[in-house]
Amino acid sequence: MKIEVAVRKSIKNFMSGKLPEKTGGMKEEGLFYTPEFFDALEDKLVGKVKEKEEVDG
Amino acid sequence: MDKMPHAPIAGANYLANTKNYPWHRPPDIVDYDEGVDYILTKLKEPEQQEMIFALMEIDTHVSTIVSSLILQSISKGKFATDLGVLMAGPIARYISIIADAEDIKYNMGTSDDGRAKVTPTSLKVAMGIMDEDDEPPAPKPMPQEPDIPEGGLMGKPTPDEMMTASDQEQAAMLGMTQEEEEQPNGMA
Repeated sequence: MKIEVAVRKSIKNFMSGKLPEKTGGMKEEGLFYTPEFFDALEDKLVGKVKEKEEVDG
Repeated sequence: MDKMPHAPIAGANYLANTKNYPWHRPPDIVDYDEGVDYILTKLKEPEQQEMIFALMEIDTHVSTIVSSLILQSISKGKFATDLGVLMAGPIARYISIIADAEDIKYNMGTSDDGRAKVTPTSLKVAMGIMDEDDEPPAPKPMPQEPDIPEGGLMGKPTPDEMMTASDQEQAAMLGMTQEEEEQPNGMA
């Protein structure tokens, strides 16, 4: 398998909410960069832009 | 000596320096979160962001950008290939978020739209085992030749414009005339 194909599969899995379980299991506190983390980041970054647009507009 | 084998010399690997390239040495980062953190920190640099936005503006898929970022770090010996593949998801998600924040349209490049579907007929054609009842594929329509304009310097000549040399002229051109040319030095 080419690395480009593996990367595409990995992105697809992450976007559908799947995480590397075994890698996460190696840490007691679990993984930090989870889909939930990025959802919160999206709300923060994109929401900030929208707020700015409303103030400017 | 003229029949030297074109193969590695047996045991040469024991003498070669296996630490020539960064990916030959143990990687700097082995932790998933640490690796993602390293790439995200890099992506926060204005030069990197400009490059990524410019690539997305010319319809480069996010998966292609992520692949190149990962390969770049692997070549520097930052992390191993398997960890790089695991990190592809968070990196792609982050790129999509900053693109949304900048209102840049992007394509993730993870769909199979461009893939040719495998059907029983396509398999048969590929393996050359077409049955008798299978219809042969319809021939492709021949492209129509464009009309050649008449007249003008580059145009097709009309029948009136067609000029052919007379028999006498043709014979003269082929050197079949009986007249002998007089040699300038009188050697004839």
